[in-house]
Amino acid sequence: MTSIALAANGIDYTYPGEVRALKQLDLTIEKGQRLAILGANGSGKTTLLLHLNGTLRPSAGRILIDGRPLSYDRRSLVALRSRVGLVLQEPDDQLFSANVYQDVSFGPLNLGLSEAATRSRIDAALEALRISHLRDRATHMLSFGQKKRVAIAGMLAMQPEILILDEPTAGLDPHGVNHLLSVLHRLHETGTTLVFSTHDVDLAYTWADQIAVFADGTVLKQGEAAAMLADRELLRTARLKMPLILEIAEALYCRRPAWAAIGPPRSKDALLHLLEQTIGGPQ
Amino acid sequence: MLTSDGFAWTNRWHRHHPAEKGLLAGGMLVLAVTLPAPTTAPIIIAVMFVTTVLGAGIPAVTWLRLMALPSGFLITSVPFLALSLNFSSGLQVVFSPQGLEVALSVLLRSLAAVSCLTFLTLTTPTIDLVPLLRRVGVPPAVVEIMLLTYRLVFVFLERAATGHQAQIARQGYVGLRNTLRSLGLLVTSLFQRSLERSRRMEIGLTARGFQGELRVLAPKRSISRARVASAAGLLLGVAAAGLVLDATVR
Ligand SMILES: Nc1ncnc2c1ncn2[C@@H]1O[C@H](COP(=O)(O)OP(=O)(O)O)[C@@H](O)[C@H]1O
Ligand SMILES: [Mg+2]
Repeated sequence: MTSIALAANGIDYTYPGEVRALKQLDLTIEKGQRLAILGANGSGKTTLLLHLNGTLRPSAGRILIDGRPLSYDRRSLVALRSRVGLVLQEPDDQLFSANVYQDVSFGPLNLGLSEAATRSRIDAALEALRISHLRDRATHMLSFGQKKRVAIAGMLAMQPEILILDEPTAGLDPHGVNHLLSVLHRLHETGTTLVFSTHDVDLAYTWADQIAVFADGTVLKQGEAAAMLADRELLRTARLKMPLILEIAEALYCRRPAWAAIGPPRSKDALLHLLEQTIGGPQ
Repeated sequence: MLTSDGFAWTNRWHRHHPAEKGLLAGGMLVLAVTLPAPTTAPIIIAVMFVTTVLGAGIPAVTWLRLMALPSGFLITSVPFLALSLNFSSGLQVVFSPQGLEVALSVLLRSLAAVSCLTFLTLTTPTIDLVPLLRRVGVPPAVVEIMLLTYRLVFVFLERAATGHQAQIARQGYVGLRNTLRSLGLLVTSLFQRSLERSRRMEIGLTARGFQGELRVLAPKRSISRARVASAAGLLLGVAAAGLVLDATVR
């Protein structure tokens, strides 16, 4: 039995100036899952994420937390944001303090934690992102990747149940991406629900349990990652391409239809294994 | 300002408690102002130079460069103190030996004071001194604005620099007309971006539980007794040396 932690039910949102950003959008986030929100640039991903932590309020439809509609009074919003942590795409939008340590201390203090508890949260968050050595560094002397880690650490220190990241890999080099994914992996193992938005199909395919395919302000379809990304029709409508691994696997299935039954390879290694069988195996 | 800020964050002593560095700089400043200048001031300047360069590991060139500007100003203006105007028989400019002595001691005192401040600027980020303001009763809101401004100044400078480079890349500063137009565009775009940034920062901070108060915890730094003792020792030593020298010279 899976339980739904957070959901959007038929939400609409129009920015001032008549930009209709979200239309009749449905989304469910189950506890403990890894969900990728996959869509082209400008499809409305950021706008959706801002609804999930109550920053924006839908003009129609509603956000459900634990099955109950979210209310927008101050107290409910503060409570929501202590459970749902949103990391923005641009770290400079979230870092305001002169040095790293002080910046990370901000969230826990807002939760009303004591000084001692805050200090241990800061140490743990910096350690989780492997940036303990940056603790005394000036924020403005960090590289983009380092700023991004600090912004994530600032959110982790609040220990949210659901961590939402807007395009977390944008602007990171391959090493930075791997590092981030391993951090997310450890978080997932300790039970945090993870949601991130991206336009990178390969990343979504290898990382996510579920994918919500997004286009023109609405979720076209949400479901198991491999099923979503094997659907050529769906991908075309969303102006996305098929992940490289799946593309190659499909080509192999044409030659060995029996293998399609094994299920699609989910990682580069699984694909290599399949390839070895094709090349080396008996006809 | 930016170079000194850079060193302030990275020098060998950047982790030391600001109060330790404040004690040394402040103490020397008091000595510079109170003790006989001709003997004490040169000692202070020498000691501060050695502490900054050998202690905190700041390049001597940087120290000299930071000292140069105020020193240049002092050296060119202070000699006028030696002159005085005499109105008894028309207007006369008079040069007096006592005047010269006064001017010299003012010059030395000021240079010594500047060397103390130079040490503090190069070893301690300005922002580390701000929490001390809260303790002396500056309202929290003012302190918060100072902290936020400090960070935003750098975000702003980065934007200005990239915008400027982008304009240069497109020949924006070739000729007077282009230059004026480019500058105007840069300023307007920076203004718009600042507004946009503050809007997004509010979203970012609200996501982190911001409810109107920017409370943060500074990294825990303990005051080292050994370092406080050495600072006190150094102050006493300089004071004694200055006074003894003064007594022997007279
Ligand atoms: N603050 C805003 N004001 C007006 N329109 C906006 C604003 N932010 C985004 N939009 C518009 O809403 C649409 C969705 O944007 P966004 O949610 O940022 O997409 P994504 O994150 O998928 O790239 C775009 O057409 C964009 O131009
Ligand atoms: Mg976006």
